[in-house]
Amino acid sequence: MSSQITSILVSTLSMSVPLILAALGGVLSVRSGIMALGLESMMTMGAFCGVLGSYYSGSAAVGVLCGMLGGGVFGICHGILSVRYKVNQVISGIGLNLLAVAATTLLMQLLWNNKGSSPQVASITQDVLGSPITYLMLAAVFAEQFVLFRTKFGLRLRMVGENPKAAATVGLPVHRIKYIAVTLCGVLAGLGGAYLSIDHLDMYVRDMSAGRGYIAVAIMILARYNPIMVLFCALIFGFSDALQISLQGYGVPPQIMAMLPYIVTLLVLAFGVRRITPPAGVGLHDDE
Amino acid sequence: MYAVEMRGITKEYPLVRALDQVDFFLREGEILSLLGENGAGKSTLMKVLYGMCRPDAGEIRIKGEKADIRTPKQAIDLGIGMVHQHFMLIPVMTVAENIVVGQENTKGLLFNQAEAEKRVQEMIDRYGFGIKASQKVSELSVGEQQKVEILKAIYRDAEILILDEPTAVLTPQEVEELFRILRDLKKQNKSIVIITHKLKETLAIADSVSVLRDGKMIKTGMPVQGATADELAQMMVGREVTLGVSRRSKKVGETALLVRDLVLTEKGRTLLNHVKMELKKGEILGIAGIEGNGQTELIECLTGIRRPDVLDVEKDGKKLGGTPGDFIHAGIGHIPEDRMTRGLILELSLQDNLILGYQDRFQKRGILDQKRIREFSDNLLKEFRIKAPGSMAKAGSLSGGNQQKVVIARVFSEDPDIIIVAQPTRGVDIGAMEYIHERLLDLRDEGKAILLISADLDEVKSLSDRLTVMYGGRLVAEGKPEEFDDMELGLLMTGAISGEDREVQRHGSTNS
Repeated sequence: MSSQITSILVSTLSMSVPLILAALGGVLSVRSGIMALGLESMMTMGAFCGVLGSYYSGSAAVGVLCGMLGGGVFGICHGILSVRYKVNQVISGIGLNLLAVAATTLLMQLLWNNKGSSPQVASITQDVLGSPITYLMLAAVFAEQFVLFRTKFGLRLRMVGENPKAAATVGLPVHRIKYIAVTLCGVLAGLGGAYLSIDHLDMYVRDMSAGRGYIAVAIMILARYNPIMVLFCALIFGFSDALQISLQGYGVPPQIMAMLPYIVTLLVLAFGVRRITPPAGVGLHDDE
Repeated sequence: MYAVEMRGITKEYPLVRALDQVDFFLREGEILSLLGENGAGKSTLMKVLYGMCRPDAGEIRIKGEKADIRTPKQAIDLGIGMVHQHFMLIPVMTVAENIVVGQENTKGLLFNQAEAEKRVQEMIDRYGFGIKASQKVSELSVGEQQKVEILKAIYRDAEILILDEPTAVLTPQEVEELFRILRDLKKQNKSIVIITHKLKETLAIADSVSVLRDGKMIKTGMPVQGATADELAQMMVGREVTLGVSRRSKKVGETALLVRDLVLTEKGRTLLNHVKMELKKGEILGIAGIEGNGQTELIECLTGIRRPDVLDVEKDGKKLGGTPGDFIHAGIGHIPEDRMTRGLILELSLQDNLILGYQDRFQKRGILDQKRIREFSDNLLKEFRIKAPGSMAKAGSLSGGNQQKVVIARVFSEDPDIIIVAQPTRGVDIGAMEYIHERLLDLRDEGKAILLISADLDEVKSLSDRLTVMYGGRLVAEGKPEEFDDMELGLLMTGAISGEDREVQRHGSTNS
């Protein structure tokens, strides 16, 4: 029994890592005034490109970098759509999510002649306390907290997110700040995705992020757009994910158990996030 | 020596020429009032100067040097500061953060919060503004927020200060305070432009005045000394106008609307605190007050849009209640305070907007009678002198004054017994304002009961037969408009004195 509990706790932590990374990215994006509904696509690209990098180089580390790059590219896309072309950010986010699934499936078919999964690739070995990505994640939490609330750049970024017009009238480079934020968002979410494919597993499976990008959005809101709070809020979701895995095979139909993380998300969104106000300038532009 | 010279500034938007060969000069160390009606191009001209709007033609010189200003940053670097009509502040951040952002002092990587607060506090103390640098902006009153905006410009070493409609949202006391600050700044040889359409204030503070009308500069740099309000109004509008129509009711009838008790609480806050009032036929009852003291909620409760906790209201002896539709059918017309959100559907045609809420009159078995609607609309457009390309034009394509006339036409055409009017002339030009005021007085003379809510003190004072002041969800004082002076109203509106204090003062002074 106690070994059971230990395994759930370890699993909670490991299931939380990708959620935390994606939610951290989301916080940066939303704090700069851009909705983070595209997180799912950035995670998917991170997972896929991670495997791709590892497949061609034979090195898991190169894979991780490729994953971050893939997520970052989608972050920039989201930025171009919402800053330059002023596309409705919900639509651009969801559009990117659909594109990511379609593109990765197509590429899997072309590269490996298999729509379901990639071959096994070199992956990162986990020890009991987690992998290097876990430590990277912890560093990212504190670094982001510091940058957002203690530095000049953080102050400017938050100002842009609260009121882009006001930021423009005091001469801040509103667009540049938003691009930086949304690109970093993609890089972080991409790292989270790479964790899924070449750390947690050693291959890419279709629909690998399985809605974790959306769960990260819920976490970020529950955490009031605050990096350190993200760390704790994500554990709730990581726990429900871990629980459903470990409870499978106890007679409960696995399909029902697999619903657990999503039910928790639904409950949190319905009851946990009242009176949480996002930055006032989300979705607004500086020149209209 | 000129601080600013602008020559031949032209700016065209699709369909309109917002600025037409405008010349503008600002002398060093003077306060200049840039006068004009809504839509005359005042704000556009100043946005050109502040780099927020690129002109199609023209030349700008700052202190004699030719300048090409493309962004606010360049304007700031040239020593130009602007206080926008809608404040550019972040409510969740502190005063100091709002002021220094963009030009922060740093300590290594860190933003030096303590240093920023110290420097800002020094500035606040130097100007005697009485606010704290560490306060959140959301905790400040509107007048204090404006001071933060002014500090933002001064912090950036602005030598030329532009204020866009600075007094629109201030109480009389706050206006006095602002004028004191502006005079102080003038003494430091700063050059100041105030954009306004208020003549009284122009005469009170400005050294010279420039008048814009329909994108053309009518008069530039005329000394204010010796000018009269009528003269300025005529330049602004282009014809003679009667300012401040005032005509008291001759025949006040019986009670039309009796509010015995009205209580509204929301999230534990009392928004309307046992409001009681009586509105008689043939009178205009004015409610003065700073926005956010329950006026919006009062209107919404009296038109059925909001359900209060206690609603004990009678119209002609019959109890009122139900949905907004029930209130309309009971004969209560509503001209909402914000025509963009409650008054009109900007995407729909004028025809649709003119029958909104009254569609039932124009339908047979659920099908609208288009011909009757068209005739009805065309008549209203003519009757209310609404300037529009036709009744199929979108409501959003009209100017503010004409949009407001559409709302008014709709409500008046239904012939309600009681009309609740909120901010009827906000963002409306003088011509339309005159017209709307006349119509309201005419209806009053016909025996309608009118409840007028306005943030414009001059408006409520000149139109109302009876005046009340709303503060903190209560009606705190009542009397004839002549009985209140502006300063006293300002104190009542900010809760600095209560209605009872006022009574005591009044009786005290009559006794002695």
